[in-house]
Amino acid sequence: MDDPAFWHRLQFAFTITYHYLFPQLTMGLAPLLVLWRWRALATGNEAYARSARFWSRIFGINFAVGVVTGIPMEFQFGTNWSEFSKYSGGVIGQTLAMEGMFAFFLESAFVGAMVWGERRLGPTKHFIATCLTALGAWLSAYFILVTNAFMQHPVGHELTPQGTLIIGDFTAYLLNPWAFVLFAHNQAAALVTGAFVVAAVGAFYALRNVHKEQARVYVEWGTAMGLLAAVLVAFPTGDVQAKFVAKHQEVSLAAMEGRFESGTEAQLNLIGQPNVKMRRLDNPIALPGLLSFLAFGTFHSNVRGLNDFPEDQWPTNIELLYYSFHVMAGLGTIFIGLMGLANLQRLRGKLMDTRLLLWALMLAFPFPYIANTAGWMTAELGRQPWLIWGLFRTGQGYSDVVSQGDALFTLIGFAGLYAAIGLLYLFMIGREVVQGPVDDHESGLYPEVVNG
Amino acid sequence: MVEIWFAIFCLMLTAYAVMDGWNIGCGVVQFLVARTPPERRQVIAAIGPLWTWHEVWLVGAGGVLFVAFPSVLAVALPGFYLAVFVLLWCLVGRGLSLEFGGHIDDPMWRSFWDLAFAVTNALIAILLGAALGNLLRGLPIGPAGKFSLAFFTDFKTRGEVGILDWYTIMVAVFTLVCLAAHGASYLVWRTEGAVHDRGLALARRLWLAVFLLMPAITVATAAVRLELFTEMMARPLAWLAVLLAVGGSVAVVTGQRGQRELLSFVGGCAFIAGLLGAAAASVFPVMLHSTFDPSHSVSAYAGAVTGPGLRLAIVWWPIAMALSILYAVLVFRQFSGKVRLSSPPLH
Repeated sequence: MDDPAFWHRLQFAFTITYHYLFPQLTMGLAPLLVLWRWRALATGNEAYARSARFWSRIFGINFAVGVVTGIPMEFQFGTNWSEFSKYSGGVIGQTLAMEGMFAFFLESAFVGAMVWGERRLGPTKHFIATCLTALGAWLSAYFILVTNAFMQHPVGHELTPQGTLIIGDFTAYLLNPWAFVLFAHNQAAALVTGAFVVAAVGAFYALRNVHKEQARVYVEWGTAMGLLAAVLVAFPTGDVQAKFVAKHQEVSLAAMEGRFESGTEAQLNLIGQPNVKMRRLDNPIALPGLLSFLAFGTFHSNVRGLNDFPEDQWPTNIELLYYSFHVMAGLGTIFIGLMGLANLQRLRGKLMDTRLLLWALMLAFPFPYIANTAGWMTAELGRQPWLIWGLFRTGQGYSDVVSQGDALFTLIGFAGLYAAIGLLYLFMIGREVVQGPVDDHESGLYPEVVNG
Repeated sequence: MVEIWFAIFCLMLTAYAVMDGWNIGCGVVQFLVARTPPERRQVIAAIGPLWTWHEVWLVGAGGVLFVAFPSVLAVALPGFYLAVFVLLWCLVGRGLSLEFGGHIDDPMWRSFWDLAFAVTNALIAILLGAALGNLLRGLPIGPAGKFSLAFFTDFKTRGEVGILDWYTIMVAVFTLVCLAAHGASYLVWRTEGAVHDRGLALARRLWLAVFLLMPAITVATAAVRLELFTEMMARPLAWLAVLLAVGGSVAVVTGQRGQRELLSFVGGCAFIAGLLGAAAASVFPVMLHSTFDPSHSVSAYAGAVTGPGLRLAIVWWPIAMALSILYAVLVFRQFSGKVRLSSPPLH
């Protein structure tokens, strides 16, 4: 707390973490909605239309919270991180503006039509609106991830004589290889969230013996997409991401693994507690040589430990970074196992009768949220002490005219407001789930409009 | 190039003020034109599913500020710190009341969200108005080129000013009345029945109030910053904007007399756009005016990004804009027409 940037960092971390709970479900559900609408159009099977309709309502509530918690994010770059905005606005301003102009306009124009306009639009137009909403959601992610990729691995910029950054090579900036990997990894992880939530609701219905036809659709599609996405998160996307970190952020990799000593045949730590003061990992349970192999492709590669780097280059919170990485990786592995098992039973035709597995699927839905959050904490804590890797330190970026009291005031305000929104959200989603996929309660937000 | 980007930024803010302005106005007048929960749902239905699209213009304006004038953003947003967050929280509350309010068909649930909608929108109107007043009056920018505004200091318009003083409060009240009038005009155009009739009577009174307050605001602005008017004299663009505002107000009155609802509503849009346009054309190139010393003011030329950034963005910006307007037209066509109360049940 001696750090003058402390409250600014905490506020940004809190608001972005909270915000991202919602878009990950939006982006994870969007492809399923498109697929179901497409199946319904192509086969005339009403079951898929009903699935899409039910999940569109969930999508709508979720999207609304995503929008209202997302708008403060853009402004906080200016309010809380003005020195950073001034320094890098010439570069990251491009993609932040493009997100609004290309993606958010698209998404916001069609989401209302998608959620409320089925009857008014007719099936074909409504399908198009669904596709465009999904496209907007995913496009939005790309622009934001290009911005983040620049902070992780800056490319395409130039330094002006005034000491600020401007665009040097726009194509290089937009096609940052880090952004591609990050996008693939992050979107696969969002699909995991979507798949787990859909499967969980299906399992809930199946266990209660209600909405049988819909329960089967949710469980089967959720587990199929869940396995695919969980595998994609680990391989190739997570693997490539880790190799990028090993190559470009060596000191982060060392901290993520709680590795202090350098050496070849580096072990991969499964469990253990980093003891930074003593510079060691306590109680390690490890697989020998595997870290060298995963990071560089051979068992003999030297993986440098934190001791090789000056302490002012170390990530500022090594313990939290270590646990974030291990929670993410551990959960990711469990996801593949659970979804693998579910798909095995599905192929044997026994999934809907394996009650223990249905219980597991129902209770598993919070964990992808935890894994996504832990993954982002790994990325962002691993970037410390830099705000832009190698160029600009976090301590240089906050707004120095904002008093600590003002920063804490707004943090408390967000905490209260977001707690209330969280309760409301859970109440409304819970209500939709309990009411279930029945068609006779399409909500009456815009039905009174008559064309004249 | 700097001039073009200044114009684009002002254009996007103006578009936001006009389009979200009618949503805000609908919220402000909601309890005056709609007496029962179903009537209030009619107001929300008239706002329609494009409200997020309207709000994105604010996000877009923020993005344009980021892309073209990052150092102006870096001075202005932390300077207005608390006010920005109060505005953001109100936007959160407003968005939730629009999206959540219709979800549960229960009178208590709906009453709560209707009230939240009215209160947050009134606050948004006041805050946006105060922000405009601050930009016109000037900000306590010191030699370091930064400022930090308290909500209030001594309510005077010189030196160490706060967000609220006699002048900015006047502009805030004017904005509240103006957006309320604008929202009422919108409801007259988009609704039928009791809401329409009450809206019509209210719109007449509110627009009359706007036209009566207008000279007072003009005199007050001249008292606070006379140079805005001397600048305006020399600028043909500012004259065009004034002409637009005058034409708009004539259209408002003619529309009301001749029961041409769309004409009256469009007139209101032109009036608001004209006023903001005239203000923008008069302040240029100063984006943030210092109340201490004009040499501390931040101008668009000093605040603009260097290098190829502006040239790159001028390529993609019009494409994005054209696409965006296309989407909205496509969607609006599906939801156009009058909003009627208790049409036959649709299920």
